[in-house]
Amino acid sequence: MYFNSFDFLIFLPIVFVAYWLFEKRKIRFQNVILLIASYVFYGWWDWRFLSLIGLSTLVDYFVGIRISLCDTDKLKKRWLLVSIFFNLGVLSFFKYCHFFIDSWVDLCNSIGYDIKDVTTLNIILPVGISFYTFQTMSYTIDVYRDKLKPTKDFISFAAFVSFFPQLVAGPIERATHLLPQFLKERKYSKESISYGIKLIIWGFFLKLVLADRTAIYVNSVYNNVEYHDGLSLIFATILFAFQIYGDFAGYSLIAIGTAKLFGFDLMTNFRRPYFSGSIHEFWNRWHISLSTWFRDYLYIPLGGNRVGRYRWFFNLFITFLISGLWHGAKWTFVIWGAINGIYLIIEILCNGKKRKGILNIISTFCFISFAWIFFRANSVNDAFYIINKIFTEPGKLYIGSGDDIAASLYAVLAIFLLVIIEFKREYLQNITIINFFTKKEIGRMFMYATLIYLILYLGVFGHSQFIYFQF
Amino acid sequence: MKRYITTFSKIMKFVIIVLIVDVIFGIVSNHLFFLQKTGKYARANLVIYETEAEVLIFGSSHAHRHYVPEVLEKQLNTTAYNAGAEGQQLLYHLALQKMVLKRKKPNLFILNIDEDFLYSSDIAYDRLNDLHPHYSEYGDDLRPIFKLKSEFVDVEMFFKSYLLNSTIVHILRYYISPQLDYKGYRPLNGTVTNDHITSKLMEVNDQVKEIDENFVLALKEFINNSKSNNVDLVFVISPTLRNINSNNKSLGMINEIADKEEVPILNFLDDKNFKDKLDWFHDPSHLNDTGAKYFTKLVSERIIKEKLNN
Repeated sequence: MYFNSFDFLIFLPIVFVAYWLFEKRKIRFQNVILLIASYVFYGWWDWRFLSLIGLSTLVDYFVGIRISLCDTDKLKKRWLLVSIFFNLGVLSFFKYCHFFIDSWVDLCNSIGYDIKDVTTLNIILPVGISFYTFQTMSYTIDVYRDKLKPTKDFISFAAFVSFFPQLVAGPIERATHLLPQFLKERKYSKESISYGIKLIIWGFFLKLVLADRTAIYVNSVYNNVEYHDGLSLIFATILFAFQIYGDFAGYSLIAIGTAKLFGFDLMTNFRRPYFSGSIHEFWNRWHISLSTWFRDYLYIPLGGNRVGRYRWFFNLFITFLISGLWHGAKWTFVIWGAINGIYLIIEILCNGKKRKGILNIISTFCFISFAWIFFRANSVNDAFYIINKIFTEPGKLYIGSGDDIAASLYAVLAIFLLVIIEFKREYLQNITIINFFTKKEIGRMFMYATLIYLILYLGVFGHSQFIYFQF
Repeated sequence: MKRYITTFSKIMKFVIIVLIVDVIFGIVSNHLFFLQKTGKYARANLVIYETEAEVLIFGSSHAHRHYVPEVLEKQLNTTAYNAGAEGQQLLYHLALQKMVLKRKKPNLFILNIDEDFLYSSDIAYDRLNDLHPHYSEYGDDLRPIFKLKSEFVDVEMFFKSYLLNSTIVHILRYYISPQLDYKGYRPLNGTVTNDHITSKLMEVNDQVKEIDENFVLALKEFINNSKSNNVDLVFVISPTLRNINSNNKSLGMINEIADKEEVPILNFLDDKNFKDKLDWFHDPSHLNDTGAKYFTKLVSERIIKEKLNN
């Protein structure tokens, strides 16, 4: 089920009412409701993949208990490896099987071995598999590290694994943060509910107005790169930077807001990343739940920065390379990850981790946008073709005709609104511009009602889905 | 219990404010929408609410750019209006036809057929948005068509903001810089270049496309509406420089339906008059003004001939 669907608009109030009806009873009832709701939510796409989540839940639940019962580190480690092999095995099979086979065939062909017919399975990628496998792995790893006691409450654990607001595109929660929330009583708080609704509305604005409007121009250029000049490719790349932000930050806000309706706190996933003065700062503000996951479970175990200089750079690079691969089974994502790793290494060499000022913000945005070319391009060849054209054939800016122009104007308008709002949050937090809209309840309601109007008036209501669902 | 009631009353208060905002802004947007004098919405408004033309031309950009009403009027000694709309497909034409027939029964409908009319296309559904503003007036006619796109059409159309989604830029744009047309026809100037001829624009890939049953039903309904209202109907396939596959499934099926329903088809796909006449084309699939005038004249002559034969 998509957040931006009528199904969800009907589903959410039903679950909300059912959930709080059981507030006075045991929290177990609420967890059962969340579990059923989450399985319905996920099964709406393809019920067959529910078995995969169910299996993942069972494996990690029992592995967690087994680890806590082990006397020796060696045994603990064995059980941990069971979990890691299972989760990464499932992920590799569904997500990377084709990629590795195709890459192998390409490699053989390039060195002279002519391989034509390769039998591959017709594998469908289950939605959100990268997110929930990482989340459940964090559980077994934290149990192994004695950061968390394994739960014996299977329902709570299953609800934690499949919690529908963040099941398919994060934020990737740490078990130490989210699981305890399933084990304690959730208080009904109208402030929390009100805040959740605000986040949901702003999230929908980012998705339906900002991301989906910019997508129209971006897709028309990136899907026909041979027809466009450098200037159009630059403009499309800048728009894509905002598209992916609107799309993913929008999803995260809807997820966090929805969780708030049920009394849960999810971690912040984005903190105005395009106001970063350095690449280092950008990665502290962009997709925070994934960045910190890789930091805690890959970068630090590799030795982090407490090793020799070259080993430190290697650790950084490999972490970003794997992060790129996590995003998708395509070489474009791997290169995107590698570019970001190289950026960080260069930045360390130049002592530029803590830079501020408008010029640094602009240059960081340019570097990040350059890397987005690989993220968005349909192939590695396309990406290099785009870069070549940007630097050699600036040409004319494509503005399209009719509906294309309108879509671009709405996109620019939405970006303008986003920049104003984020600028205020970044630099003018304590300044109230118009009291009526912030201090008075009726004023706040009017403001959010206007935002809903803008969503319905300017949003795109088609067949779009969230970009990160494919990961 | 009290806090639930408090939350509920707050939510209701918020919903009421949302509705008030929607109605206030909606009235303003609606007023601006129907004030338009030029542009695609203004042309559709004119077709639906005003035109008294006896010949109406339906179709996509090929209809919009290929039929010169003045030529038709002169040749057929009648009145004509070009209701073609760029990028639109059968569902749109059917909806427009239904709304027109509520008010006026012309003598002749010309439906310009595109080679991909029956192939499945999400865009064909998405672009029905252009007719949303007419839902409050023609809900009964539009509902079955909009329902093909969304089950929740009545809920969606309840909001004025959704009805008028994305219209403001068009309104402002054509208010500032009016878009000229000649009874719905907008000429294209310039001629096709050799670059165009060798480019991807020449390719028509219909190997993997599937027929959408909704479009087939829409075509049949279009024919039935014409018959039941005693309006003559002619299908016309415009000339093109593109390489249309002779086994094109969509065209094949349209031919079958036309044969069965006895709707004349004027096929200019391989017409020798347009063979290699690059000067008459703006791009590989659209005629320029000179080509359009000649084409309209040929269509008129063929229509007269068809009528004489019957």
